[in-house]
Amino acid sequence: MKETNVGLGEQAVSRSPEDVLVAYGLGSCVGVVMIDPVSHASGLLHAVLPKRTAGISTNDANPSKYVEGGVEGLVAALVKAGANRNRLITRIVGGANMLIPSGLTKSFDIGTRNIEAARTTLNRLRMPISVEEVGGHTGRTVRVYVADSRVTVRVIGEKEREI
Amino acid sequence: MQEQILFDQDFLEKLKTIAREGVNNAASGFSGMVGRTIRFNYPVARLVPVLSIPQIVGRPEDEAVGIYLRFMGDLAGQIMMIIPHQKALELVDLLMDVPLGTTQHLGQLERSALGELGNLCGSFFLNSMAGKVNADFRPSPPAVMVDMIGAILEIVVLTTGGISEEALLVQANFMDGSRSVDADFWVIPDLNSLQDLIKKNSVV
Repeated sequence: MKETNVGLGEQAVSRSPEDVLVAYGLGSCVGVVMIDPVSHASGLLHAVLPKRTAGISTNDANPSKYVEGGVEGLVAALVKAGANRNRLITRIVGGANMLIPSGLTKSFDIGTRNIEAARTTLNRLRMPISVEEVGGHTGRTVRVYVADSRVTVRVIGEKEREI
Repeated sequence: MQEQILFDQDFLEKLKTIAREGVNNAASGFSGMVGRTIRFNYPVARLVPVLSIPQIVGRPEDEAVGIYLRFMGDLAGQIMMIIPHQKALELVDLLMDVPLGTTQHLGQLERSALGELGNLCGSFFLNSMAGKVNADFRPSPPAVMVDMIGAILEIVVLTTGGISEEALLVQANFMDGSRSVDADFWVIPDLNSLQDLIKKNSVV
């Protein structure tokens, strides 16, 4: 088994049975997993923010940083790797609100906005979500086992479990 | 169009000098609160890619405690203290003045004690900075998170990442030799407000 770390603002796509795609410690970020169970083409996106902030120009050419562009990029990369778009099974993970105990939270629920952005984008692309493991107030590590299309989530103090 | 100020090496060195006094002051507050002398290493000030922030201390899946506050006023920004979970338990023992190994779990009371520690260190740092640059800063109440390092540090990324690709990170470390309290202390000023403050005051 070879773990590929999918960091913030990154995506990874694989068809190699020895690969495990991992996003460690997703907090408010959202992980989007897409798997074609026939070709075993599997992808994981680790998106940070819902979409680009209007009026602010960064030299940022990285679409995977944002949910909206990242989901589209992931679908394109999977199709390029041999996936059939209509067979893709989609799961979303993350979008927690890490600051719930403090007064900072009201201005800052990016987790919820990330979840909404994922739902809206996937709905627009007519791609149903099969599993959501989202919200709450804890970080999650998500693993995608390319060999058998399993997807697992782990939170602090608990064992890895399949979703 | 706003004139850009370059955060070059010279600027970072000067900022480091100001931050050193702030960290020294925070360490004094820390020492007073736990009743022991807390040492600190000299802070570094550097520009880091925002998306790499969760990998700066430890592994992103390691369990840690994050104490987070923001500050507003003439300068806006964020303060984060990161403490490995086991060290946080030891720190609570010190704060509660109980034998080492007593605290096994971080409940409401223990989190509140850690929040107060973060509050105090943050306030001591900001008070020192405020005096130095003749400015006014107001800290928010602290938020205490017990979770994976990656999930905790994402807060800093989310706050900064929509605006800038790089963050200015002032990083120091508090140590207590015998009981090795190992706490990372970060200050991340908002770059736009830092530029405004520099222009107003010629502070550095």
